[in-house]
Amino acid sequence: MAGMSSKRLQKELVKIQGTLPPGIALVSAENLREWQMDLSIPDNPIYPPTEKYRLRFLFSPSYPIEAPEVVFLASSNPERKIPIHPHIYTNGIICLDLLDTQGWSPVHNVESISISIQSMLAGNTKAERPPGDAEFVRSNRQRPRDINFLYHDPSV
Amino acid sequence: MRRLEARRQMEEANFLSSKARSQNLNPPIDLRMLDYVTAYDDNLMCPICRCPFLDPVVLAECDHCFCRDCIRQTWASTYSPLGPRGDCPSCRTPAKLGPRSATSKILVNITDDLLVRCPKSEDGCKAQVKRGEVQDHVNIYCGYAYMECTADDCELHVLRKDAAEGCLHFGVSCLDCRQSMQKASLETHWRVQCPDRKVSCELCKEAVFNREWDTHSRETCPAISIPCPGKVFGCNSRSKRSQADVHAKSCTFAKLTPMLTAMQQRMDEQEAAQKVMVRKLEVLEGGFQAVQTILSTKQEDPDQVGADESRIPLLTGRPHQRGDSGGMLDAMVVETDVGAFVFPPPSSSSRPSSELVHVRAGASLPPLYSAPMAPGPRPADLPEPFTMDFDMASPFPPPAANGPYISPLHHLLSMHESLRDEMSRMSAALQELDGRQSMQALNENLRTREEISYMAAQVAGLSRQVHWLTSAQLQRQQHGGAGRQAAGAAGPSGSDIAGAGAGVEAAVSTAASALRGAARIVNAGQGMTMRRGLSEEGRTKL
Ligand SMILES: [Zn+2]
Ligand SMILES: [Zn+2]
Ligand SMILES: [Zn+2]
Ligand SMILES: [Zn+2]
Ligand SMILES: [Zn+2]
Ligand SMILES: [Zn+2]
Ligand SMILES: [Zn+2]
Repeated sequence: MAGMSSKRLQKELVKIQGTLPPGIALVSAENLREWQMDLSIPDNPIYPPTEKYRLRFLFSPSYPIEAPEVVFLASSNPERKIPIHPHIYTNGIICLDLLDTQGWSPVHNVESISISIQSMLAGNTKAERPPGDAEFVRSNRQRPRDINFLYHDPSV
Repeated sequence: MRRLEARRQMEEANFLSSKARSQNLNPPIDLRMLDYVTAYDDNLMCPICRCPFLDPVVLAECDHCFCRDCIRQTWASTYSPLGPRGDCPSCRTPAKLGPRSATSKILVNITDDLLVRCPKSEDGCKAQVKRGEVQDHVNIYCGYAYMECTADDCELHVLRKDAAEGCLHFGVSCLDCRQSMQKASLETHWRVQCPDRKVSCELCKEAVFNREWDTHSRETCPAISIPCPGKVFGCNSRSKRSQADVHAKSCTFAKLTPMLTAMQQRMDEQEAAQKVMVRKLEVLEGGFQAVQTILSTKQEDPDQVGADESRIPLLTGRPHQRGDSGGMLDAMVVETDVGAFVFPPPSSSSRPSSELVHVRAGASLPPLYSAPMAPGPRPADLPEPFTMDFDMASPFPPPAANGPYISPLHHLLSMHESLRDEMSRMSAALQELDGRQSMQALNENLRTREEISYMAAQVAGLSRQVHWLTSAQLQRQQHGGAGRQAAGAAGPSGSDIAGAGAGVEAAVSTAASALRGAARIVNAGQGMTMRRGLSEEGRTKL
């Protein structure tokens, strides 16, 4: 299993280092457990085009059978914020159906996840956090994929 | 003829047994880990493992194709006894693996004919074989796969290419590092481990120790081309390390580099310092602007002066009205006496100081005081209470007795408005809290009620059992009782049992009614929270 995971990630890495869609860039992939990507969102006044948002992918040895853990990271140098979105909590956890155990399919990959998140932000019209954000951020100790989000909204 | 046949059979048996032994020594190859010699068509790629299909299967429901192992692993969590089934990873159509899921032979042949590198290529095997034959290559042909030592009395393993040299399982020591090992592993030792073995650098043809190889290739190899030191300032030339000095002498950029770096550093420092200055300037400007606004409002509208200046009109305005001796003491009176009077008559010009109650301006109002605060038509001949109210509740300066009344009224209205806002916010918060609480109560009640009904059912069952037992016992008593009553001994015992049975029944029914009472209380509790929510909502509506 672990072999399949690393082999597939190697293949994805080769492809990602070649070409990526505009606005998506590989920041680091020092090992086959954690990668970071930068996203920028064109054509949405909520997200300034100069701003970049950092995604962290954590892969388990059973990737791609199991979904990677994908969250937004905040950092000060370089400055990266958590983008405001009704499905993104202030601690960076993203509520997106393809990332949880139910919605995940092994045919997804780092590139397709990045594109999904980018288009989720690009199509956003509400500059707000999910309901119960503060409470969730304070109390959540679960891994993102184990959380049962109540706010899944098929329209986004 | 028969001899030939026998010989062929023997050879085959030998071949098969050596293959079997070799398979034990060389574990089966994970075909997903292979490196392909040429790029392959994306259409031959399994979307799950991204390798050319391995034992491909087609889902009959949607025609999507995956490796058998890939789809099995994907569906491992949704195991069903009817065989692997789940949603298609590509299109989410519910599907299953049936006996006819295997794809056409053509796809299998195409993928099995792709050329791969031998999995022992890191050990030195240069072979490129078809994927379908790679296991055979390792088991039978690959010189870098293990097999049993050819010596009869030796049980150890050798690489196939060394097998012809006889048993290599005797101790030797490395000439370079003096480490002792078996001859069979000496070659691997030299290639990757031995720190004192020299390898020759392909670029500079120099022999370098294995342990120094990293630094050599990165830093010291004279043949590696390095960029000009002035690269950051614009020189794009690269030269071999050995000739770097020659270039640096002729390159303007390289000569200027130390100076430019120093300048860059100073510029960075100054920029940082400037940033601090800018921030300081901003703070100062903000302060200056605040001072300016205070000054300008004071000039424009003397009625709108801030809290600290409110004493000035008081001190100057009051003594006239009261005819008291002015000064600091009088200011104290104005500030503190408001709590003592609800409606001080406008004519009262002097008060005994014993009436002073120390209520600070802005402190919570006594309930009496809220009455005159209500907005509405105000009798024109009662200007005093309004000024007093006003003075107490806010730092706003009281207008002179004959001043414009419109401004305090407005102020009151706005205060009222803000209070109303506050109240509505609080009511919203309360409502939310209430909703959460009643939800919690509901959940809890549901569980409790379930438990209670379960217990009630149990009690009912118990009571039925007791009833049955009692009646059975009674019947038996009555049957045998007739005879024994003549003896006059067993009478009381029958009634005893009947009495005990009735007692148990009574106890059980008491328990049942207690349970029903508990259920009622739970329901009532729920109703109570609902009522409380309503009343609170009513109260918060101002
Ligand atoms: Zn596959
Ligand atoms: Zn499908
Ligand atoms: Zn080989
Ligand atoms: Zn041997
Ligand atoms: Zn050695
Ligand atoms: Zn060299
Ligand atoms: Zn140069």
